[in-house]
Amino acid sequence: MRVPVGVKVGAFALGVMGSYTYFANSIPQIESRPPEELSLEGGGVTPEQLVKAGEQIFKTKGTCEVCHKVGEKGMRAPDLAGVGARAAKRKPGLSAKQYIIESLLDPGAYLVEGYPNIMPRVDKPPIGLNRSELWAVTAFLESLGGTVDVKLDDIPKTAGAAAGGAPAELKLPGDPKAGEAVFTGKGACIACHKAGKIGASPVGPDLSQIARIQTPEYIMGKILNPAAMGTVTGYPKGVMPPMFGQSLTAKEYVDLVSFLLTLK
Amino acid sequence: MRDRSALRQAARAALSAAFLVAVVAALPAHAQDAATEPAYRAFPLIGSRLAVWAVAQLHLNFAAFILGVPIFAVIIEIIGWRTGEARYDWLSHEFVKLTFAAFSTTALLGAFLLFLFVGYYPKFWTYMTSIFFPTYWVYALLFFAETFTVYLWYYGWDWLAGPRKWIHVGLGVLSNLLGTAILVVANSWVTFMMSPAGITESGALKGSVWAAINNYTWMPLNIHRLIANIVFGGTIAAAYAAFRFLNATTDEERARYDWMGYVGNFVALSAFIVLPFAGYWLGREIYAFNQTMGITMMGGFMSWLWIIQAILIGILFLGSNYYLWLGMERIPGSERYRKYVPYMLMILAIGFMVWATPHSLIVTLDEARAIGGTHHPVLGVLGVMSAKNTAVNLMILTTFLSYVLYRRANKLPIKSWVLTGMAIQWAAFFVAAAIVVFYGVYGYFVESIVRIGFSVYQVGAVLGAIVLVMTIDIPMFRGARSTGAIRWGRIPARSQYVLILLAVTFTWLMGLMGFARSGIRQYWHVYGVMRDTSVDAVTPALGYAANVITIVTAAFFALVMFIFWLGGLSERGRAGAHGAAPVIAGGSEDAP
Repeated sequence: MRVPVGVKVGAFALGVMGSYTYFANSIPQIESRPPEELSLEGGGVTPEQLVKAGEQIFKTKGTCEVCHKVGEKGMRAPDLAGVGARAAKRKPGLSAKQYIIESLLDPGAYLVEGYPNIMPRVDKPPIGLNRSELWAVTAFLESLGGTVDVKLDDIPKTAGAAAGGAPAELKLPGDPKAGEAVFTGKGACIACHKAGKIGASPVGPDLSQIARIQTPEYIMGKILNPAAMGTVTGYPKGVMPPMFGQSLTAKEYVDLVSFLLTLK
Repeated sequence: MRDRSALRQAARAALSAAFLVAVVAALPAHAQDAATEPAYRAFPLIGSRLAVWAVAQLHLNFAAFILGVPIFAVIIEIIGWRTGEARYDWLSHEFVKLTFAAFSTTALLGAFLLFLFVGYYPKFWTYMTSIFFPTYWVYALLFFAETFTVYLWYYGWDWLAGPRKWIHVGLGVLSNLLGTAILVVANSWVTFMMSPAGITESGALKGSVWAAINNYTWMPLNIHRLIANIVFGGTIAAAYAAFRFLNATTDEERARYDWMGYVGNFVALSAFIVLPFAGYWLGREIYAFNQTMGITMMGGFMSWLWIIQAILIGILFLGSNYYLWLGMERIPGSERYRKYVPYMLMILAIGFMVWATPHSLIVTLDEARAIGGTHHPVLGVLGVMSAKNTAVNLMILTTFLSYVLYRRANKLPIKSWVLTGMAIQWAAFFVAAAIVVFYGVYGYFVESIVRIGFSVYQVGAVLGAIVLVMTIDIPMFRGARSTGAIRWGRIPARSQYVLILLAVTFTWLMGLMGFARSGIRQYWHVYGVMRDTSVDAVTPALGYAANVITIVTAAFFALVMFIFWLGGLSERGRAGAHGAAPVIAGGSEDAP
């Protein structure tokens, strides 16, 4: 039997693409995940914990390790081994921590000889470290041959303010289980909204995937001030009650938001 | 019958264009609504990211095809017009016919993509509209103009023949100018997402939209895509010809489609030779915009992508050369050049291996232990840019040599200065190769910032040699004695599978590079300005990306075959849509 040309050509093309696909699947598979936000504003962190957190940021969100090595001369940026001690001697009048903080927030202010001015401000997007993260990275760099003495107050209040974008994940102290009870009970949200297997009312939008399609800020704002957050197309305006800010306790509110954030 | 079909096609085009304008005009109102809408919606089953990815890649494939093919179609038409050879006019018409059939599909996919953005990424789309709204109108109007010009170009082929041919050629040129303008407008949007410019820290437009359009990567991407579209169009047209060749039942038909496949591949190869230079410029501008982005692209989680790219480009080089060598077998007199083939193959194979040598890649612990580091202790030295730039430049030179030998296979020059001309040509090859190797080796002994500049000298040497050799070659072989006509149609069937291999590989490569361009933004919709907070913010691994690319590429080819089949239906039962097809077999002594 003669195989039609179309079949032969199709099989050949699929074989070619299949071999490319096989190879791409046989190499190490690495995803690029959004970095998590670190907050240490509440204090209560030991220098060891701070250094450890700083090292983590150095290798991940900060992307410092892309150019800077520790104990190895980089082609694009200086070796950072011993920078904790060396930093105090770089610029007259600046202590080690002040020099390191300046290097992070204004990298072009002092350039190590032989290296180009290519480092971006780390508190600006796309890196966008916040104050806690700057604090931790500074502590880590101080630990490389020096003494860790940096305090959160040493990091300028304005630093990190411009870091763009929303946090990758908001971790609320609420209890989703208790929030579900608020949803079906005191809040009476179930009267208008469906949430996964709970409820079936078509009065308001289906919230079964609300955490997937909306930001935490929107969800929190919508509960407290529904009118200000607008109305989803296709639903009547002004139906959602505006009194949850008064009727729910702070705990109930946080529990409810935590529950809604599980709806993905 | 034909008039009615034309009318239907034109009406469909007008409706598509009007529809697009209506959608664009409605956008501001929709954008206002979107401010109160969710930031994201979830596309059923496969998720929004995958839906946008698949449709965008399909749309880009079709768009690249319909923008790339007319560029060389009009050049071929001009050749036919000036030389008076009907076969070129026929070929140009055949090429335009292919793009014509794909025109509506491209527009429909574009509209579908727009709906996906508006519906599933409303917040992102609102932001893009706040920056680029004026360009939407320009895009829509250009689309209108392009549609009607192409239709007039295609349907006016016979009407504007003879003394009015210049008007017809003018329409072809105008179609290309409008198509290119559409491309550069759309490029401003995607490049702004990569390298935003002209905005404040909060992302608002500072002044004129021009600053946002003219961002770091806009012009390099314009050039890169323009050239890549020509390569892509050439490979698809050649694959179409290959398919028709394999299905041909007569020698005349085989000869015709052998020639068409050759021209398609010639066009693709010519543009492909300069494509790496345009890619290099784009890469340099990415580094200039943001070092972190550049380093993420080349040395971060995407480092393995470049090994896959090297393999694909190596296959394209080897395939293109193999096709030329097979083609030489149907040229009497080419025997004298066959002795060079093993040496050229050796350079290409070694270049391929060097280019695909990994260095500083992410490996598993077991692999690292087995190798003794992140790269091989001896061969790893070939995995750096100095060696790779040298390899690719030598591969380009070798491919060019293949073409030069093919071109002169059945010609014996009769000019008095032949020996001098040949000596200068060979000297140009050797000097260029020496410059490439010298800077490749020297690059190991200097700082990276100096080394980057060396690639410009290497590229300059290769381009200089190409220009010099062709400047001598064209007059030297004018009026040359023939050793026999090219026996079109007498080429092994495996050569046609090479053409299909090239088309499939280049399409897959386009998908891969699209993933790279988009993926280097990582978790940003607009780099450093608007963060992706959706569940799809993770940039997937290469295996997943390859699965998507393969599925979309297979879908693209299935659609293309269906559309071509549909296009062919209207011609069944009547003697050709555009006069009789010319007889090619044994009738030509020239290769372009």
